[in-house]
Amino acid sequence: MADTAPTTQSSRRLRFERIPMRRIILIVLSISIIYGVVAGSTATLRAGVFTAEDWQSLFINGLARGSVYALIAIGYTLVYGILFMINFAHGEVFMAGVYTAYFVAVAFAGNGFLNSNPLLAIAILLLVSMTVSVFIAVVLERLAYRPLRGAPRLVPLITAIGASFFLQYTFRGLYGANVRAYPNIEILDGKWTVFGIQMLKTQGIVIVAAVVLWILLYLFVARTKTGRSMRAVGEDREIASLMGINVDRTIVATFAIGGALAGAAGILYVFLFNQVIFTMGFLPGIKAFTAAVLGGIGSITGAALGGLLLGILEAVGPNLFLTGAEIPSPNQLQPVIAFGVLVLVLIFLPGGFVGASEEKRA
Amino acid sequence: MNLRQSLKPGAIGGIVVVYLSAIGMVERFQDRNVITGLVGLGVVLMLTTYAITAYTTARKSDQPLWTGASVGFFAGLLVALVTLGFEGLINAGLDVRGMFVSITPGLLETLEFGLDPAVGALVMVLAATIIGAAAGALPTLSDDLRSAIVYAVTSTLLMSLGEPILRVTLGNLNLPTAWLYELGGLTIPGLILILVVAFGARWWWMSGAEARRESKAHMPEGTRRTWSRTSLFLAIMGLAALPWIVGPFVSDVLGTVGLYVLLGLGLNIVVGYAGLLDLGYVAFFAVGAYAAAIFTSPASFLVTEEGQTFAEAGFTNLWIALPFVVIIAVIIGAAIGAPVLRLRGDYLAIVTLGFGEIIRTLVLSDWLAPYLGGAQGLTRVPAAPPELFDLRNPQHIYYVILIFGLVAAYISYRLVDSRIGRAWAAMREDEDVAEAMGISVVRYKLLAFAMGAGVGSLGGVFFAAKIGSIFPNSFGLQVSINVLAVIILGGIGSIPGVIVGAAALVGLPELLREFGEFRLLIYGAILIAIMIFRPEGLLPNKRRQRELHEGDGPAPLDQTEEAPA
Repeated sequence: MADTAPTTQSSRRLRFERIPMRRIILIVLSISIIYGVVAGSTATLRAGVFTAEDWQSLFINGLARGSVYALIAIGYTLVYGILFMINFAHGEVFMAGVYTAYFVAVAFAGNGFLNSNPLLAIAILLLVSMTVSVFIAVVLERLAYRPLRGAPRLVPLITAIGASFFLQYTFRGLYGANVRAYPNIEILDGKWTVFGIQMLKTQGIVIVAAVVLWILLYLFVARTKTGRSMRAVGEDREIASLMGINVDRTIVATFAIGGALAGAAGILYVFLFNQVIFTMGFLPGIKAFTAAVLGGIGSITGAALGGLLLGILEAVGPNLFLTGAEIPSPNQLQPVIAFGVLVLVLIFLPGGFVGASEEKRA
Repeated sequence: MNLRQSLKPGAIGGIVVVYLSAIGMVERFQDRNVITGLVGLGVVLMLTTYAITAYTTARKSDQPLWTGASVGFFAGLLVALVTLGFEGLINAGLDVRGMFVSITPGLLETLEFGLDPAVGALVMVLAATIIGAAAGALPTLSDDLRSAIVYAVTSTLLMSLGEPILRVTLGNLNLPTAWLYELGGLTIPGLILILVVAFGARWWWMSGAEARRESKAHMPEGTRRTWSRTSLFLAIMGLAALPWIVGPFVSDVLGTVGLYVLLGLGLNIVVGYAGLLDLGYVAFFAVGAYAAAIFTSPASFLVTEEGQTFAEAGFTNLWIALPFVVIIAVIIGAAIGAPVLRLRGDYLAIVTLGFGEIIRTLVLSDWLAPYLGGAQGLTRVPAAPPELFDLRNPQHIYYVILIFGLVAAYISYRLVDSRIGRAWAAMREDEDVAEAMGISVVRYKLLAFAMGAGVGSLGGVFFAAKIGSIFPNSFGLQVSINVLAVIILGGIGSIPGVIVGAAALVGLPELLREFGEFRLLIYGAILIAIMIFRPEGLLPNKRRQRELHEGDGPAPLDQTEEAPA
């Protein structure tokens, strides 16, 4: 249409095109966000609504939920590192385990086992949750993802979205649509004071458990044969298979490990939030994905750091940035913080802060 | 013998039926009669599963009849055993329903055909074996006969499922319906009539197929074009007459389908043409609905200089607000798109999903509640002055949606081969090459995004006008997924595909209330199945089909049969 336009007009058009709209929008965006964060924070701090203790407890809260995100995020990161696909249904893998373990917990609470023998009971709950999550993750890989290896990138993503909804509504059909409250475990009640910082026992346990699991995973990937094959397959699938690595089995192992961690994360999650429902996987799933991207997808360390950072941002952020701006009920806007971080990281730092240099290679 | 070969497919069929029972689908569907007094939809669902597993296995076997029968036998046996098992658990006093809420007495009754458990189990095995044998016999028949049988059975099922539309429609035309339908299902005489007519018609059609293909091939170019023009014209006339034939209730459903066609056409530009997976499409739908409400509702915060809302100042005309709404949506689309369009495909998908959720959370928040109504939503969106169209009347708004849908379809159609459309195609196939050929990738992506946003907002406007009040819960991720499923089922990038997809995924569940709670389950299953078995969708766009099958040669058929590790 403009091909036949007179020169003056086309040169004007050219001049217009030379204005880098995208860059301008990005600059305006970053300036306004920085301004908003700084102004909001100073206003909040100056108003002194929160005491130092409040900040401490928010921080611990963020650390605890961040640990859960970190564990889920490892599932995303491992799968992405090896198949380059976003396993959108990973949040449902997380939900499946803990929702199934709920029924075991109820049975234990009914016969008193849960409080008479809490450590064993929790161990069994963990085992059940992890087993179910592993099962779901492996079945998912076998039925939905394996037929699509080598398909264009968006195809497995669409499949994963389909699988996510399929699993959600499967569990709704199986277990019902209600919110269910996990039975209370008495030894988890109460508080601890560590280095002068007060925290709920559950928060402490969650943080410690996540760190232990993370270390185990790290050693597994770094030291064992399966771990080495995982890294090799992620590097180059074909060459790995030429080197005698069973690619299929390695991929299944990857899904299984991600599932196991998600199952464990599920139990830790109910320590903090106490409820299960069939949709519970969606938001933690997306947030964990955000955490994985934040840390640099493909990197296990990145997933852990990204999870913690996101958890803290989410717990502290709304109160710090928004209270001062006199926004009512700032914690309603928590998801905006998480998604906002996701969007901003992908725009400004698509490699994440750990894997920034690795992005080009992938 | 091939008994061992049929063990695995039999087990799969059985597991599928157990699964469908355990999630409550069989029992819920059983509430609906297919043939009144004889078969309910739950049993049909079960038997269809047996038939499909038996048929797919038998087709590849050299003894199809036996294979089919044995597949059916194993599947039925598994289901019968599981049923007996649950019966036993319940009799032993175990609270099975405490965990599996769908294992109800009603379900067990369905699975036992209302008989004594042991007898019911026998009947189940027997029925599955017979159905399996019948399905196994199909491959041995001649093509014409098989096609006629399949056709007769499917039409019976469709006629029965279409009862809500057909009965109302026949009633509107003052035709008697009692001989055909009874209590939501077919009567026995109706069943026989449909079977015979469908069988005969298909048989007749198949026997003349060769001659027709011949004559079509020899048809001169001009005549063929006249033909296709005439059929398009007739189709549009048919669509125009529809609301008066089917009555207000079905028209309302048609309006919803039309809305999804509109949304699908919009998303199709983004996903189908430009190849950008947008999971936050609902954002533009929401922008359209909210902008329309803010402009025209008396509950709006937007006031004139005299302090009146626009509505109080007499500005309740949706038609005047419409262009502004679309312009706002296009600007928002461009503003959201500009920073993120550089991202790789899968990241872009997640970011758009993030935007969709951000918009929903903001709309729900107390912070913006004074402007957007928070959880209470915005009510009293006026229907435009009813001079021409009364938007609250389902039969009227149907026309409005139809007109805009046709315009959107026409624009989409003309876009494909335009300069823009070709740029999109190039971009979709290889972004770097397209860039090297001088296509400004970001600009064309932005254009697609903005156009998609505009069409999506139109959908939102009509949604607001149709319902009259809007609530944030209507704008969740499910809407994006619904629209995505619509275009993927129909075929990404295909305009007829959007219409078929919307009719199947939006129209059917609206009519079959039994589907309600399983809607997203079915959408999810469809997304997976289509991506695995037929990524180009039901009515594929030719070019897109080539892209999707690029380089996989004759492989796809074999791939699905991968040996288990």
